[in-house]
Order: sequence, then C-alpha cells, then structure tokens
Amino acid sequence: MERKPSAVLIVALILWTFGVAGTVILPLFDQEINSATASGELRNYPEDSAEARGREIYIQNGCQTCHTQFVRALPADTNQNLGPVSQGGDYKYDLPHLLGSNRTGPDLMWVGLKYNEDWQRQHLIDPQSTSPGTIMPSFDYLSDQELDDLVAYLMSLKPTEERLEEYKKELNNPNN
Amino acid sequence: MFTDEKWSSSKNWFIAAVFWIIVGMTMGLLTATKQIWPELLNNRWFTYGHVRSAHVMLVIYAWLSMAYVGSMFYMIPKLAKTKVYSEKLGNFSLVFYNIVILEGFFALLLGQTEVIEYGEFPLWVDVQLLIAIGLVGYNLFKTVGQRTEKMLYVSLWYFLGSLLWLPLTWIVGNFPARWIPSGVQQGLMGWFLGHNAIGLWMTTVGVGQIYYLLPKLTGRPLYSHQLSMIGFWAIATFYVWNGPHHLMNGPIPGWISKAGVIPSIVLLIPVWAVLANFWGTMKGSWAQTRTSVPLRFTMAGTIFYLFACLQGPLQALPSVSSVIKFTHWTVGHAHMGPFGAFSFTSFAAIYYILPKIVGREMFSKRAMEAHFWFSTVGFLVFAFSLWIAGIVQGFAWIEGVPFLQTVLMMEPYVQGRAIGGTMMYVAQFFLAWNMYKTIKMAKIEKKQQAQQQAATA
Repeated sequence: MERKPSAVLIVALILWTFGVAGTVILPLFDQEINSATASGELRNYPEDSAEARGREIYIQNGCQTCHTQFVRALPADTNQNLGPVSQGGDYKYDLPHLLGSNRTGPDLMWVGLKYNEDWQRQHLIDPQSTSPGTIMPSFDYLSDQELDDLVAYLMSLKPTEERLEEYKKELNNPNN
Repeated sequence: MFTDEKWSSSKNWFIAAVFWIIVGMTMGLLTATKQIWPELLNNRWFTYGHVRSAHVMLVIYAWLSMAYVGSMFYMIPKLAKTKVYSEKLGNFSLVFYNIVILEGFFALLLGQTEVIEYGEFPLWVDVQLLIAIGLVGYNLFKTVGQRTEKMLYVSLWYFLGSLLWLPLTWIVGNFPARWIPSGVQQGLMGWFLGHNAIGLWMTTVGVGQIYYLLPKLTGRPLYSHQLSMIGFWAIATFYVWNGPHHLMNGPIPGWISKAGVIPSIVLLIPVWAVLANFWGTMKGSWAQTRTSVPLRFTMAGTIFYLFACLQGPLQALPSVSSVIKFTHWTVGHAHMGPFGAFSFTSFAAIYYILPKIVGREMFSKRAMEAHFWFSTVGFLVFAFSLWIAGIVQGFAWIEGVPFLQTVLMMEPYVQGRAIGGTMMYVAQFFLAWNMYKTIKMAKIEKKQQAQQQAATA
C-alpha cells in the first residue's frame, strides 16, 4: 500500500462511507426524527403565508447565528424556563433547520409563548427600549411588511396546548 | 494567459491566501466589536449575522484552504520527485476559486445563506466551489500519478485522503434542503460537513504539512513510520463519525448520540499517535525553535493541536457539554484548530516554501518574530477570555440567572476577546508586508543578477 496511491484512496473512501452510513444514512430510517409531532405540524407553514415569509427574513438576517431553537432536558435549559424539551419530530418541516449552535441571545424555540406582537416589534426596531443593555443590533432597516412577517413567524413558535399542559404538569411535579 | 512558470501555482495560491486572511479576519474583528457596540456598521448588508457567517466561511475556505492548496502545490511534487502536472491549470483554478469565493462573500452579505455552519454559501456557489476543488484535486492526483519516487511518504497519504474527502463531505453537507426529509436529518448532514471540514480537511492537510516540515526544518528523519500509519488510519476511521456530537442532549435519538460520542473519545488515540511522532522527531531539536520562526510556528501549532484535541473529546462528554454548549467556550474551542493549530502550520509552510520558490530569504526576520508573538499572545488572550466566559455563562444559566443579566456579565470577557483578536489581526499585517517585500526584493535581485551577467558576458 505504501507504493499504491489508488489503494490508499480506496480504503479512505470505504472508511468515509462507513461514517456516512452510520451518521447520515441510518438516521433516515428513524421514526423519531422523521415523523412530525403535533407541535411540529404547526411549523408546516403554507407557502407564502406571513409566517413562511417571516421565516425567510429570519434566515436572511442571520438570526440563527445568535439564537438557537433547541431545548434540552438539562438544568441549563429548564432553569432558564425555555419551555418543553424539543423532540426530533418538532423539526420535521424545519428546513433549512434553525437549530443553531450559539446562544449569544436566548433560545427562541417557543418564543411565541413569551411576548406579545407589540413587544416583538418594538424589540426588533429598538432593542434597548425593551431590554436595556442588550447587545442585539436593531433591525430598524427592515420594511414594515418585513417586520410584520418576522413578528408573525416569531409569534408562531409555540407548542400545542396539550404539549404545554403536559410540560406544566411536569414542572409542578418535580419527582416525575 | 496563465503562466506555467515553475512553482507559480504554489506562490500565487499563497499570495491569494494571505489577501483573504486579512479580509476574513477583518470580518472576525468586526464580529467581535459588534458584540461590544451592536450598532456599529449595522445595516442590511453588514448586520451581525452576515458578518459572522462571512468571517467563518472566508477564514476556512479562502484563507486556510488556499494556504493548504499552495502548500500542496509545492509539497506534493517535491515528495513525488516530479513537477506539478499543470502549473497553468493550477493558476487557472486559483482564479476560478477566487471568483467563487468572492461570489460567496457577496451572497452572504446579501443575506443568501444555506444556514449550515461551515457550509453557508448558497447552492449556486457550492456547485462552483465543488468544481474548483475538483480541478485542484485532479491536478494534484495527476501529479502523484507521474511520480518518480515510488514510496509514498506519509504526508502524501494525508494529502490524497483530504483531496478525496473534502469534495465528498462538501456534497453531503450542502445537499439541497428540499430533498431532505426532516430538519434534524439536515442537522446531522450539516454537522457531518461541519465536523469533517475540520476533521478530514483542516486536520489532515495540516498534519500532512507538519509531517513534511518537521524533518526539513530539523534535519532529522521522522521518528516512526509505523506510528504515522497508525495515526493516519485511526483518523480516517474515527473522525468521520463525529458529526452527531454537535446535537448532543438534543432532539436526536440516543443511539445516534452514542454513535457520535464514542468515536469522539476514541479520537484521542490517533491524536496521541500523531503527536508522539512529531515530538519524537523533535527530540534534541527543541533549542532550534529559539532561532527558527517556521519551526517555532510548527511546534506551537502542535501544542495547540494537542489542546484542541483534549478539549474536543472532553466536550463530547454529555456532562461537560451540558455546561458549555452554546456558550462562548465553543467559540474559543472552534478557533484553536483552525487558527492556533493549522493557521500556525500554514504560516510555517509559507515561511519555509516561499524563500525556496523566489530564491531568497524572507525579507525581515523581525517581522516574522512579530508575526509569531502577536499571533500567539493575541490568541491566548482571545481564547482564555472566551473559555472563562463560557464557564461563567454556562453555570449562570444553570443557576437560572435571567438571560439578559448573563449577557451583561460577559462584557469584560467579550472586551478581552476583542483585544486578543486585535493582536491576532495586527499580526497578519506583518506576514502580508513581509511576503510583499520578499517577493519584490527577489524580483529586483534577479533583474540585477541578469544585468550583471549581461555585463560580464
């Protein structure tokens, strides 16, 4: 093999293929991530709805670079009161996915539960007015239409009533 | 139109790389500064998200990748005892690659993003970049094909593997979202790219560079050929499996998590095999790092590589991840491989190769020293600010401190990061200036020599 580049390449390709099979192909057959939860269905926005357009604006402005949509069953997340733990099926229609990797700002998985539309709009135009000291830049350069759409998207980020009830029950019963 | 001058591809890829490290790090410094003054240069094009994405994509695919290709256009023919298959094609692919990078850069500033980290360019750019990488790979494979040295030195193994893995990995990560059945599935594919752009491109080409440079710079043979084989195959076997740990404790089934976490920890084996080999080769040569800046850059690079690879498996433990994931810590860690380890080895490669190509020493030894110290001290300030910040932030979240308050707590660390970052940034101007002077002086000297010869003839 020390004299045959083709042999090195073939083995290198096989090892790479194993990794793809294990971490990319096999998950395709996993029901947990590939069938939508009821809350995941809520994110299946009709084409050209305000929420779908708002999601595009969220992506175009790079919101995902500072905000995750990813709640874990961990003290860091439960103690921050982030809401129900997210499940694979919540992201069935979340394409391109907006899981994120960094919380320069707070998690937005269920941000629709937390504030009303007026607050969201005000916060986008002048973040300091609602959150003094924040390092979020203002998005006052967005048009009225764009702001409306973005707010509609943010307000849509909610679990179903049942999921929320279930979550609240668990919160009140810490032994569970 | 394109020159076929000997070593011109290598030289030109290096020049372009250094241009892009300045642009890419300008974006990085702007990102850091925006975390202090959020309204700085805040508009539709230079909003925080765009600048951060541009920074990540440019330093990896413009600076570091171009420096890698420049190194390979020199190291591969040298090891194969032949010349580059086509210098013309090498120069053409450079121009093409740079046009594609420019397109990607503007696309990101215009808000066109694929969201996938380390694969943010939109699809129309991805396809072109794939072709450009393909052209480079073709040229270098052909170069190996015409070798006169039959034994393949270990660096060649790494380079060949990397040139095969990068385009394949690129395809998996940039697969169009509309053909993917679910968001989490895309997350796994995206992190396959995210992790393997590091594991099967940055790491493997960088390690190949070190294997080439160490014996040259120290004048000693490689410590163990056997160990280098073990290191190579272990990286090739285990790195590919690392993607899922990026979604740890998250919305993925337990079995995928385990399939990602266990190989992440096993990675300690190849890392140790590789480093033992490097440091074994260095035995008795450490004193040379005092005088040789390229050797010092290489060894500092190996030390940062060790720390990056100790942090990595540690962070892949669910318990550690539960504290530091999503915090500033990750940002510090993410800079250690690409900057601390492999930008350093690329600096060493430039300082070793450029003088061989232009036929003259680097113009200024002091500028090289300044480049090293600003880079190293700057990076340490930068990284420790972020690591401390991340731990403080992580535990504050666990204690339930209101989020906005945790942001305010981070202020001094974010400032520390910007100060360290400024030093890292300033350092690169010493590199750019030194390179410019070296190339210019070499040209002048060649002209003078030619004139002298003409006069005496």
